Amino acid sequence: MRSHIANLSCPTFSTQPWTVGSDLQARRVAIISTAGLHRRGDRPFDGMTGDYRIIPGNIAAGDLVMTHLSTNFDRTGFQQDWNLVFPLDRLKELAAEGIIGSVAEFHYSFMGATDPGEMASPPPKSVSFGNIPK
Amino acid sequence: MPFELGRPLGIPNDPVLQRRILLAALDLLVAAEGPVLVDFPDEATQHAGEARREAVVWACPVNFASSAADETDLDKLVSAFKREVAELRPWYDRGFQQRGRTAVGDFDPRSASELFIDFARGHTPKLVENQSLSVALRLAAHDLKCSYFEAVIAKPGSSAPDSITFNRWFWQETAAGKILKVIREKCLAETDKSLRMIGTLLLIPMSEKND
Repeated sequence: MRSHIANLSCPTFSTQPWTVGSDLQARRVAIISTAGLHRRGDRPFDGMTGDYRIIPGNIAAGDLVMTHLSTNFDRTGFQQDWNLVFPLDRLKELAAEGIIGSVAEFHYSFMGATDPGEMASPPPKSVSFGNIPK
Repeated sequence: MPFELGRPLGIPNDPVLQRRILLAALDLLVAAEGPVLVDFPDEATQHAGEARREAVVWACPVNFASSAADETDLDKLVSAFKREVAELRPWYDRGFQQRGRTAVGDFDPRSASELFIDFARGHTPKLVENQSLSVALRLAAHDLKCSYFEAVIAKPGSSAPDSITFNRWFWQETAAGKILKVIREKCLAETDKSLRMIGTLLLIPMSEKND
């Protein structure tokens, strides 16, 4: 896997893609997952087309489901502990301890193995807001 | 990360390890320049070894009334599948009550089994509005497998098998695994391109395909 990733071509950008930000203690952190996660009742993933789902930061573990397409992608770990793929509890602990600034109000989920170019599609083409609780 | 696909934070219910992994990932955010590619320091075998030791002693804690491992007749297989789903249902419900959550999404065990039995028998399954048969079959297959896992870990005294052990049991020893292989063969014989694609790629893992 490491050699596969290391040998992937790195895209070039017309603007500066790497930004040195604040210290972690001053940052708001969001989870961007490629585990095919979404809110229960939201649109299941149905292809590697770059669409994504928004997951509210106040979601309960029982309201998060996984529709990752691959039959070779393990789900049994997620079933036992959602932090294994969506470490929201761990992030909240780090925020409470002041190690990170805060946890974002919304998180984002894609279908894994999607071409990164597809992931760059802007909303509203690719986004599913679903019924985000107020 | 030296972990299985689908387990980026390492080991379920191990908050200490999960925290180490998360902090290692967050440290990448403060790199002076990028892109960055850094190995997590643990060896893959360090965690895989623990899982394998547990796998050796795991056995399904639910005893089915009959085995479907060698069943070839469709009617007998369907009967065994129905009994299996019914026998596991109380344990699935108990697990749901204990944990307060289920990873089953669109198809509870009964609706998933009805979908597969209808399709296996050549009937037209009932679908929810705007859901294609190919998507329904894929989602139901994952949900059925999820319900089996949650059922077998719910029995008092049972331990969670690692994914390899669970997959071996599900695909080789249950009527559910066997009927999903029947569904796959039917999908491959369909003229509908999306059903053939589901049968080719998205119903059973590569390790269980004989072609």
